[in-house]
Amino acid sequence: MTAALLSLTLRGLLNRRRTLLLGLIGALILLVAVIYRLSGPAEAEASTFTGRLLADFGLGVLLPLVAVIVGTAAIGSELDDGTILYLLAKPIPRMLIVAIKLLVAAGVVTVLVALPILLAGIIGTGGSASLGLAYAVAAAFGALEYTAVFLALSLVTSRALVIGLAYVVVWEGVVAGLFAGTRIFSVRQHALAVGDALAGDGAVTAELAAGSALLIGFAVTLLAFGLAVRRLERVELRGDSN
Amino acid sequence: MSQITLREVSRWYGNVVAVNDVSFEVGAGITGLLGPNGAGKTTLLHMMAGFLAPSAGDVRIDDSPTWRHPEVYRRIGFVPEREAVHPFLTGRQFVHSSARLQGVKDPVAATERAIEMVDLREASGRAIGGYSKGMRQRVKVAASLVHDPEVLILDEPFNGMDPRQRLHMMDLLRSMAAEGRTILFSSHILEEVERLSDRVLVVVAGRLAASGDFRRIRRLMTDRPHTFSVRSSDDRLLARELLASPEVQAVELHDGALTVRTGDYGQLTRAVGPAAQRAGVSLLELRPADESLESVFSYLVHR
Repeated sequence: MTAALLSLTLRGLLNRRRTLLLGLIGALILLVAVIYRLSGPAEAEASTFTGRLLADFGLGVLLPLVAVIVGTAAIGSELDDGTILYLLAKPIPRMLIVAIKLLVAAGVVTVLVALPILLAGIIGTGGSASLGLAYAVAAAFGALEYTAVFLALSLVTSRALVIGLAYVVVWEGVVAGLFAGTRIFSVRQHALAVGDALAGDGAVTAELAAGSALLIGFAVTLLAFGLAVRRLERVELRGDSN
Repeated sequence: MSQITLREVSRWYGNVVAVNDVSFEVGAGITGLLGPNGAGKTTLLHMMAGFLAPSAGDVRIDDSPTWRHPEVYRRIGFVPEREAVHPFLTGRQFVHSSARLQGVKDPVAATERAIEMVDLREASGRAIGGYSKGMRQRVKVAASLVHDPEVLILDEPFNGMDPRQRLHMMDLLRSMAAEGRTILFSSHILEEVERLSDRVLVVVAGRLAASGDFRRIRRLMTDRPHTFSVRSSDDRLLARELLASPEVQAVELHDGALTVRTGDYGQLTRAVGPAAQRAGVSLLELRPADESLESVFSYLVHR
């Protein structure tokens, strides 16, 4: 039952067009790292530049963008086209459906984001894996939190993608930049804090302590998971016309 | 043997009442849910299948409420009217994943059996995205049968099927009913219901208009007063002649149009020609004015 749910979710998420688009977004960071390396930078600056690249572009752009697309599609696309009916018409606890969808989606985001971040880190620093690994772990943590939030959002509104993008661009991009106090509600800041603490090079100074970021991040993930289960248990399917 | 029970069930969307205080029981055998489009059939079926919460009342399969009880799907097979099926799966993969999600013991054997039942073996290796409407309908039925459910609920199952597939599906449902299963299907086509089910539930505008033996309801439908509109070279002369016929209940000349009411559909159609001949007028048109299914249903409601 669980294996069937896993493979169905994975196949639904990774349709050809979406996979290609997400792969291209992930390739961007690699491209920047390669171009940087080819420009023959001073070794002393390489670590700082790469740290900024992984934090600002990897965690700040790549991660939320991929997470909003995958997270809102994990259940949302089936809700949109009505195929969720075949899943709901099965004797499967709704909590299990949400758990598997969340794990698969977070896994997909991790592979699509953390892997390019790790590789970009190695390329950018000229062979050292530690910086890339730190931000890859942070990306995996952020992937779980983002995906949980966007998956729950897709069960609350049919405009989850637009609202999710607005959250990433307006809240995390603008509001959290202007008002430090709002950063506690920014998933990006949670991931940055973890990445910063693991990298320990001071290239990026996160606003939150890693401990608080981890605590809040897991709490948000749990809350979003609970909300998603509650919403899925109450999803109503009206049919087309009658 | 399972039973579907609805007690004083209503469902509304905001100010719109889709189902209004409906109560009935459906037991083993085939029951047809008949009604015009927009009557509330799908809303009723979705409540029975646990996809919609009743706004009031109680919907159960045996002792279990259907809303928010996923366990009930071990006993239900549901075939939606909606066409959406995962387009990236082949027919066989779709039925097989249904079997696995249902927790069937031998999903491969169950898949083959279900595909065989709906006569889809040849196309089962192709992606559903390329299926015709009738093939999609059959693969949905196969997926709903794969766990051998006691209750089968089908929303407009014959839509898009060609006559051969329709007959095959009817035979399949009959054989399943003969095994003691409870089968409920909806349709807006009188003849489909007539050919398949002994028992019928008629819904109109969200209300249960009639229920019971099909022949009795069919009689109610055919014995009702019928209205014809007539055009001739001299409507006034023809009206006078028709009024003398015993099968004519009333004639009306209004704005130059002649309408005739009768209690006997067949007798009237046979009487109009000779009446025109006797009156010496040319009959230009004789047309039933109220033969839409909706008018038949609304007659039942207002009776």
